[in-house]
Amino acid sequence: MKYVGAKGRFTFPGGTHPPEKKDLTRDKEIQRGPAVTEVAVMLSQHIGAVCQPLIRKSDAVQAGQKIGDCDAFVSAPVHSPITGKVTEIALRSHPVLGRSLAIVIGAFPYSPTKWSSFTLKDDFDENNYSAGQICEAVREAGIVGMGGAGFPTRVKIEPNPQLPKETLIINGCECEPYITCDYRIMLELTDKIIAGVKLARRASGCSRTIIGIEDNKPEAIEAMNRALKKFGDSDGIKVVPVKTKYPQGGERQLIKAILKKNVPTGGIPPMIGVVVLNVATVAAIAEAVISGFPLTHRVVTVTGEAIARPGNYNVPIGMSVENLIEFCGGVTQKSAKVVLGGPMMGIAIADLKTPIMKTTNAITVLTKEQIGRAKFARRQTACIRCGRCLRVCPENLNPTKIAHAVKYNLLDVAERYYMSACIECGCCSYVCPANIEVTGYIKTGKIFLARQKKKVPG
Amino acid sequence: MLKDIRVSCSPHISERLSTRSVMIDVIIGLGPAMAAAGYYFRIHALILICTCVISSAATEWFCNLIRKKPSSLDDFSAVVTGIILALSLPPMLPVWTAVVGSVFAVAIGKMVFGGLGANIFNPAMVGRTFLTASFGVLMTSWTVPATIDGSMPAIAQENIVNAKTQATPLAWSKLAIKNKLGADIYSEEQFKATFTGEVGGSLGETSVIALLMGGLYLLIRRTINFHIPLAVLASAFVFATIAYLIDSYAYVQPFFHLCSGGLLLCAFFIATDPVTSPLTRRGMWIFGIGVGTITMLIRIVGEYPEGVMFSILLMNAVTPLIDRLCKRIPMGGKPSVQ
Repeated sequence: MKYVGAKGRFTFPGGTHPPEKKDLTRDKEIQRGPAVTEVAVMLSQHIGAVCQPLIRKSDAVQAGQKIGDCDAFVSAPVHSPITGKVTEIALRSHPVLGRSLAIVIGAFPYSPTKWSSFTLKDDFDENNYSAGQICEAVREAGIVGMGGAGFPTRVKIEPNPQLPKETLIINGCECEPYITCDYRIMLELTDKIIAGVKLARRASGCSRTIIGIEDNKPEAIEAMNRALKKFGDSDGIKVVPVKTKYPQGGERQLIKAILKKNVPTGGIPPMIGVVVLNVATVAAIAEAVISGFPLTHRVVTVTGEAIARPGNYNVPIGMSVENLIEFCGGVTQKSAKVVLGGPMMGIAIADLKTPIMKTTNAITVLTKEQIGRAKFARRQTACIRCGRCLRVCPENLNPTKIAHAVKYNLLDVAERYYMSACIECGCCSYVCPANIEVTGYIKTGKIFLARQKKKVPG
Repeated sequence: MLKDIRVSCSPHISERLSTRSVMIDVIIGLGPAMAAAGYYFRIHALILICTCVISSAATEWFCNLIRKKPSSLDDFSAVVTGIILALSLPPMLPVWTAVVGSVFAVAIGKMVFGGLGANIFNPAMVGRTFLTASFGVLMTSWTVPATIDGSMPAIAQENIVNAKTQATPLAWSKLAIKNKLGADIYSEEQFKATFTGEVGGSLGETSVIALLMGGLYLLIRRTINFHIPLAVLASAFVFATIAYLIDSYAYVQPFFHLCSGGLLLCAFFIATDPVTSPLTRRGMWIFGIGVGTITMLIRIVGEYPEGVMFSILLMNAVTPLIDRLCKRIPMGGKPSVQ
């Protein structure tokens, strides 16, 4: 068993240390979400082509049935999490796309959810499955990156002769404050993760496997090491504790910390022979390949000082944010901010009927006091060129220069200062003393530039 | 229960920093220097500092009124400008001169460019240079510190017998260069006196210990980066050492230069002004080396005994160019895929 010390020695340049606030839900075991009467499965839940619906209004569907698919290579199907009848195919709010089509299914009464009960047998051998079988199962199950990006996993792990993959990194960092879903998955579904790691390794053909976990989760590191020992670690899967810093969980930062290599700007990790997968994705891979379950549920952390009963819940995909917040006791204050994701990179939503998607890892509800202390509400001054944003930028950019170029509509200057290399982590805005929304300007600049180049309508 | 949902761009949390808290940190860092000034030059220090702060603030308020912009006094930058300007003035300067200097510093040094963040030159140094050029005699009349002689008489330039009534350390080292005196004559005593501050000089530059304490505070609080102070002091030291090695009769030893005059005030408080110094680390090094070298050049080869204000202004002028030349490359290298 290879275990590289208890304190994370590996890190990347830049980054900040926002308060962790994970105590709200750290020790809350994953509970089953409520029984739902209606789900709205978005047809556009991932990077890649949008799914086309395979069913029509008033069709009856079974739990686990495929209801949307697409022929494009970079795509993933969607499935129904419940048994019921399709009431309509209508628009629902999407955190990024505005309004987008979703298949709305009303549940049949008295149809309990089929939960998977999965135990990994000791004699599990991933070589019983061929790489092609694994990739096919992953595709059919509709698995996408569940860390938040939503890239179709089959495309990621499939072997590509032009870009051979040598190293598989499993991302158990969970660097954002408040979120604990990956942490609980590592503690409770450890066997599934190990199985999924082995399957992913078999499918992609990687020779080296590393599991990266931030050192503020010592119990998870221990649990993973115990499980690796149990399932025989002669193949050399290493658990590497990394220094706790935001945004260590970004794949470029994780690769830099562990392998000390840089992913080319504008490129993807397979260009340097690396594949990075989130622990939840990997657990879903095991589920799909071994028991044939498609991706219909996921663990969501409902947290924040304004929630009555914070915790980690295993909920069906398509359940509305409103229902889940109600199940957790509702919001305890009259005004709050509801964020899908963590407070650094999450998207604040206005419509609580937004359905949960495959990439929603948390619902963070921030109190009025926290809103008042944050960027938007405090007084702004002109940029004092203090340089703090340059110090913390994990991609070594000049955020203030880019932000001000966008502000004065000089998009060519912004491009020259490498605006496209920004990962939108939010560190620059976090540290700015002049209270300038640096990340906001850069995000806006990227959209304006894409519109200018006619890549997106608008 | 939830009636009012707020939305904004991410991130939704931030550090408890503000422009004002950064400026307040600088003011606290200048505290020991102000205390030393008050101890050695008594009431005159208080008068000058208050005058400069009040006139700077009033000028900024008035300029904002003319520009029809909201009042920017609450970011405390006018206070910092006033204090630094005051600390670089001779103790017996008449009040009206200080007012003129402050008005010029804030109006021409900062507001004309567009307020905080838009100025190219350090406002305090703009003010001081204007005063030196316009009121040369007033700006070079130094006095003995009150701890030596309570009546604070003017410092005699030629008297070499009594060290305590000697000219400021730098003026005296200038005389040595012009070969009126030998540099080694009792430079030790003056040198020791600069640590506590019992020497002539402007309000804030006399006490090395006070300035070092303030500088250390700023470094610990991470208000300034160590690159600029280190670059300024190291390059000044190197230049002074070279001169000393060439001719140790005419030129004083390098540590004397480091501890006398406004070099420490400059290194920790003036050169590190965030608005007028480069953004990148490499740029900061170039800036600091430039400041240190030009200061030494003026002190040793040039006509003026003190070169800080000119070197700062010259390097401020070059800062945008330095920023352009020292562009940061992203972690993944320059994009090859367009």
